[in-house]
Amino acid sequence: MAFRHEIEALSSQNANLCFQCSKCSASCPLADMMDLKPAQVMHSIRLGREEAVLNSTAIWLCLGCETCSARCPQQVEPAAAMAAARVIALKRGIQPSVKEVGIYYRGFVDNMRLNGKIHDASVAGVTQLLTGQFTSSLPMAWKLLTHGRLKPPPLPFGGGGFRRLYNNVLAKERET
Amino acid sequence: MKYGYYPGCSLEGISAEYDDSIRSLFKRLDVTIEDLPGWICCGTVAAPSMSRLLGLATPLWNVARAKQAGYDQLIAPCSACLYHFKHAAQQVAESPALRAEVEAVLALGVPLASLPPTVHPLEILSADAFESRINQLVQRDLSALKAVCYYGCHISRPAKVMQFDDPENPQSMDRLMKWVGVQVLDWPSKVDCCGAHFSLIKPGIVVDLCTRLFESALEAGAEAIIVGCPMCHANLDTRQDEIAAKLGRPLNMPVLYFSQVLGFALGLSPDVLGFKKHIVDPVPLMLEKCHLSA
Ligand code: SF4
Ligand code: SF4
Repeated sequence: MAFRHEIEALSSQNANLCFQCSKCSASCPLADMMDLKPAQVMHSIRLGREEAVLNSTAIWLCLGCETCSARCPQQVEPAAAMAAARVIALKRGIQPSVKEVGIYYRGFVDNMRLNGKIHDASVAGVTQLLTGQFTSSLPMAWKLLTHGRLKPPPLPFGGGGFRRLYNNVLAKERET
Repeated sequence: MKYGYYPGCSLEGISAEYDDSIRSLFKRLDVTIEDLPGWICCGTVAAPSMSRLLGLATPLWNVARAKQAGYDQLIAPCSACLYHFKHAAQQVAESPALRAEVEAVLALGVPLASLPPTVHPLEILSADAFESRINQLVQRDLSALKAVCYYGCHISRPAKVMQFDDPENPQSMDRLMKWVGVQVLDWPSKVDCCGAHFSLIKPGIVVDLCTRLFESALEAGAEAIIVGCPMCHANLDTRQDEIAAKLGRPLNMPVLYFSQVLGFALGLSPDVLGFKKHIVDPVPLMLEKCHLSA
């Protein structure tokens, strides 16, 4: 499948509708930090510049704030294209170009597998350890602790519903 | 109307004061809400970044269970959870093939057609029906309080998915706050992003985005920022020392949930509303600004 069609299949949209007005890039709160701006991501998808998109920082810096999709005059959804590109990048074994974000998303889903819900302090602690930000995050942890905001992690006995659906998704995706 | 309630992970964790204030507010208004039994995390941006199917099935598990429980509506106070519920429901409504796939992995025996709507508490409370009810119950007059309402990303954006309020200039929270007397100020950053979950991994980005928000709140003359999302609250309330350093001026601006302000106006105590859990203590401002009304 051509790269554009792969993205379209995962994000239910027609990338060819984009007429490159760049309103999405102008609206994006993180555009100035991205290597490819949202409008460039859309154009690169149409040009089949697969490597450039899948290795971009843009797809991992995207916060999913939806400002781009909401304002696009052509009903194109750059936010959904970015999410589709993240899925494709991981499937191909491409390391997230903003590694902290990749570590965080993986750790988040792993934590969900324990209880079906996440325990926010554990997710934060593990992410910060693995991304080398543990020490710098301690003042925040202390602030939250002293204001009664941190709770101990629950025992991993809940979450059967999520584990079942997670395994079903894995099995289904192995088939295809 | 039978309301189901989905607190979500933040409200069970670091944002317990939002949960406390929502529950006590609904009780004060005599609206019964029932916790969705056995709910799971909505998966937020993480699950759909791993797999599309996982990203749809995870939030829809909760909506399917809400249908099973017979709720007319499922209330989700976290606007990120709410976005994922609505987005996933819309995706399966538009594609029968996708719907069948998600139904198969959920294996709940619940058809994903005519699912109950998921709603933000603002959608319920800002309806006309509540205006007179709230007016009757007001015990503290907040007309001395000047504040801006901050909606962030997903209370009304994108319109196609959220189908509530105006995506660029939302009014629901403004309306509600005006009912209890708050002087709601106009400002240009109502729907700008706070940096959301990047707080854990790229705190510098969050500080930058929140600095812009405080700049415009200060410019507007606000004494407090009122919010409707646990991530917005955490980012604005917990990083004011770093933001103050960027602004080059002291900053000590209370950030309150709409449910806390409303609950306070209706006579609930700061303890019940969780004011003590804030990093920037809102109690002095709120006590100074309220006049006990007869
Ligand atoms: S706003 Fe829409 S049409 Fe304009 S460049 Fe972005 S995706 Fe293309
Ligand atoms: S959803 Fe992503 S790409 Fe779109 S405006 Fe927000 S951060 Fe930028």
